[in-house]
Amino acid sequence: MIVFLGVVPAAWLAARSRRLNWLPGMILSVALLLGTFASSSLLWSVTPLQLDLSARTPFPFALEVDRLSAFFLLLICGVALAVVLYARSYLPRHYSPVETQWIWALGSLFLFSMVLVVVASTAFAFLMGWELMTLLSAALILVDGTSRERLHNLFIYLLMMHAGAAAVAASFLAFLPASGDLYFSALRASGALLTPGARSAIFLLAFVGFGTKAGIIPLHLWLPKAHPIAPTPVSALMSGLMLKTAVYGFVRFSFDFLGGAPAWAGYLVLIAGAVSGVLGVLYAIGEHDLKRLLAYHSVENIGIIYMGLGASLILLANQSPAWAGVALVAALFHTLNHALFKSLLFLGAGAIADATRTLDIEELGGLLKRLPATGVAFLIGCASIVGLPLCNGFVSELLTFQSFLAGSAVTALPAQVILPLMAGVLALIGGLAAACFAKVYGVAFLGRARTAAAESAHEVPPMMLTGMGLLAVSCIGFGIFPRLALDPLFAVAQTLVPGTSLPTEIAGLQRILVSTTVAVLGIALLTMVARVRRRVTLPWACGLPGLTTRMQYTSTSFSKPIRAVFAAVYKPDRKLEVLPANRPYFPSSISYRSVRTTSFERSLYRPMTNVVITLATRMHRLQTGNIQVYLLYIFLTLVVLLAVVGLRK
Amino acid sequence: MKSLIPFAQTLVIVFGAPLLSGVVSKMKARLQGRQGASVWRPYADLGKLFRKEDLVPPLAAPIFWVAPRIVFAATAAAILLIPVFQPAAVLGGAGDFVLLVGLLALSRFFLVLGAMDGGGAFGGMGGSREALVSALAEAPFLLGITAVAILARSTQLAGIVAWTLRQNFFDISAVHILAFSALAMVAIAETGRVPVDNPTTHLELTMIHEAMVLEHSGPSLAFLEWANAMKFGLIMSLLIGLFFPWGMAAELSLPAIAFAVGVYLTKMAALALVLAVVESSVAKMRMYAVPDFLGIASATGALAVMFTAFGGR
Repeated sequence: MIVFLGVVPAAWLAARSRRLNWLPGMILSVALLLGTFASSSLLWSVTPLQLDLSARTPFPFALEVDRLSAFFLLLICGVALAVVLYARSYLPRHYSPVETQWIWALGSLFLFSMVLVVVASTAFAFLMGWELMTLLSAALILVDGTSRERLHNLFIYLLMMHAGAAAVAASFLAFLPASGDLYFSALRASGALLTPGARSAIFLLAFVGFGTKAGIIPLHLWLPKAHPIAPTPVSALMSGLMLKTAVYGFVRFSFDFLGGAPAWAGYLVLIAGAVSGVLGVLYAIGEHDLKRLLAYHSVENIGIIYMGLGASLILLANQSPAWAGVALVAALFHTLNHALFKSLLFLGAGAIADATRTLDIEELGGLLKRLPATGVAFLIGCASIVGLPLCNGFVSELLTFQSFLAGSAVTALPAQVILPLMAGVLALIGGLAAACFAKVYGVAFLGRARTAAAESAHEVPPMMLTGMGLLAVSCIGFGIFPRLALDPLFAVAQTLVPGTSLPTEIAGLQRILVSTTVAVLGIALLTMVARVRRRVTLPWACGLPGLTTRMQYTSTSFSKPIRAVFAAVYKPDRKLEVLPANRPYFPSSISYRSVRTTSFERSLYRPMTNVVITLATRMHRLQTGNIQVYLLYIFLTLVVLLAVVGLRK
Repeated sequence: MKSLIPFAQTLVIVFGAPLLSGVVSKMKARLQGRQGASVWRPYADLGKLFRKEDLVPPLAAPIFWVAPRIVFAATAAAILLIPVFQPAAVLGGAGDFVLLVGLLALSRFFLVLGAMDGGGAFGGMGGSREALVSALAEAPFLLGITAVAILARSTQLAGIVAWTLRQNFFDISAVHILAFSALAMVAIAETGRVPVDNPTTHLELTMIHEAMVLEHSGPSLAFLEWANAMKFGLIMSLLIGLFFPWGMAAELSLPAIAFAVGVYLTKMAALALVLAVVESSVAKMRMYAVPDFLGIASATGALAVMFTAFGGR
């Protein structure tokens, strides 16, 4: 571990030298590979690995790798390895040497900060990593350009991240009266001593703080703005990994420090997850910019993860620790799966942009023929995120379903009703996600090319394919052999929810999945061996001279029925202009415009910003620019403070 | 011998499914005062299609001809999970009903992809409509099965069927009635029957499934049509198994099995008759009325799940 932590800054140093362009990527890949091995061995170790540097630092700074940290460390190293491989050939193709250096330097520090977050064992170390993570990702976004719109989006990102970080810091500080110091071990020990009020306050602060980073609705506003504008490998890291550090933080607080939460808190998490899941996927369906669409799907998947965590908290509060463990494992497994397939999809989006210079799927089409390897990898990513069997997303969703069903066996009536109903919500999310990715894949990769750029697309270099291939293979691997992930994950869950063990019915899952895979592939092969005469001919065009590519369904037309059904969610601003106005039936021109701002922006954030601006304007009057007045303020403050101190004595 | 029965169940659905479609068509024709085609007609159609050549659009990717085969394979694999003559299936385990829904989703996903790969307008149109219908049908489908799974305290289809088999028919609960209504509505939507979709239509404005398979021909079309018939048989058998399992062989003896086969065929014929009556007497809904229909199904399914918490029966 120490080796790994040392190598990351080395990569940064390497990035400073101009001649050795290949070096930083190489060093980083080796470091990540070592990190992957080291963390997978730590996953099983009973005693956590500790490193206390407090003697040499001005504030308590200590690291500790227990099983939960090891799991997230493995996640970060493994996924980042694939992304780094991809980036080694992607970056030089898209950025100048100077920009490439910057991305390597900032990117490796960004990885370092995420590692720091998951291994920190004091509040100071954690917050340091947390803050670095935000700032470095913002810097990485700036490498890609500094246009006004980007700066605006970045500002929203930074603003919300700092509000979130403040909540996280506050929840740490709320432990202080009981714990005395901010070592994680002290926080853990004091968890049981806290008053119920303090526990609730800490829980809510952590929920809001980490929820902002995770992007649960309505705290998701920054996510679809910030993720799409980062360089592609960074988008993959942000969506695949950075969001997961928020899940880590939330699990650390609610399960490790507090040792569970009251049932109402579980319902809060569950409902927030359900709302994020449904709205996230609905917003995604309306998008046709690939990266923004994927960003909304991150909101959806974080929603599914939070649903699992919520179910776990509810089951734990209702004395059903075995199933609480299963629900926690389901959430952690989905965290792993989302990291894999979302990074894969973002890298695939980068490959599409590499081949066609556009991310608007309306301008693509027929890419599978031109980018066969990328196309297959992307298809695996789509199948995984939709939760189709034989891919990893299915397994974690199945576990989540089962833990919802376990809710029917507890004694509390609300849990009996609400938890099984959530199975329906999860199914709705899955169905809508299937519609969305059928759209994405059908419009971008199938059919006929809609533009010249899509027609002249070419396959991306092997190094990029290797990165995507690694992720695609792991998606399939965990989908068919889920025990690979389930066994370690139950070991992780044991440290958080005592009394967790792998139930036999879930252990038997792998057998069913393997036989299903054999059945599906076997039957499919049987149907393909027969030699079929094939003739290439134009499809039926209703007797017209020929099909043009414009006759194909577009992304917008594909999603139209769903958008029409859920019109209440989208609330589009439509404007139809028919010219001239006095002859509506014989117009000379018709223009139609449909603008969609998400209703949260309009109904929740606008009023909030308006209040802030109004307050700021009022406060502005305090600032007269007159030094005597400022001295008066200082004097008044001093008097008030002295009065407070005096009264307390 | 004993281990062969689950496989026999699967084969009955796989190879009997075209007959079921033929029987429903025949019943519909008779109800509408027509002579109708022979019940064996679907087999003749499949045979004819298998002998023909595949026509492929010039710019289609391999997905165009791979998709129909995956649709077929995924549907056939889903049948392995269905108990038919006895409360056991070839494959099964805790949570296998989620796998069943997942495999049907897999087949549908590739059906839509195959349709979009044709490069024409109809494929996208059908795919888009299918995506809407199936996205909304998935929730009531799972809620309906969840409700009976909670009553049976088993998340395995065979376990649910075995539990229901042990109950008294006249002791049937409100949960069962609600769950059956939800699943019946889902069955109509999933199998593309009137009033959600019309399997005999060729009018662009109304078709869903037919639009998706329009560009396919020859063996590819045969696989798609066969898979569609299989899915129909699968969902009907699932309804029978979950709600009317009485007559299934509880123990494995030859007379019991023979009785179970006879009862199954009778129940299937009765269900086909009900369907034919519904299809002949109800007009197809407008496309945008389908979400309301499935909304009612979802609400019914949700009620069924809620009722399980309040005693259930």
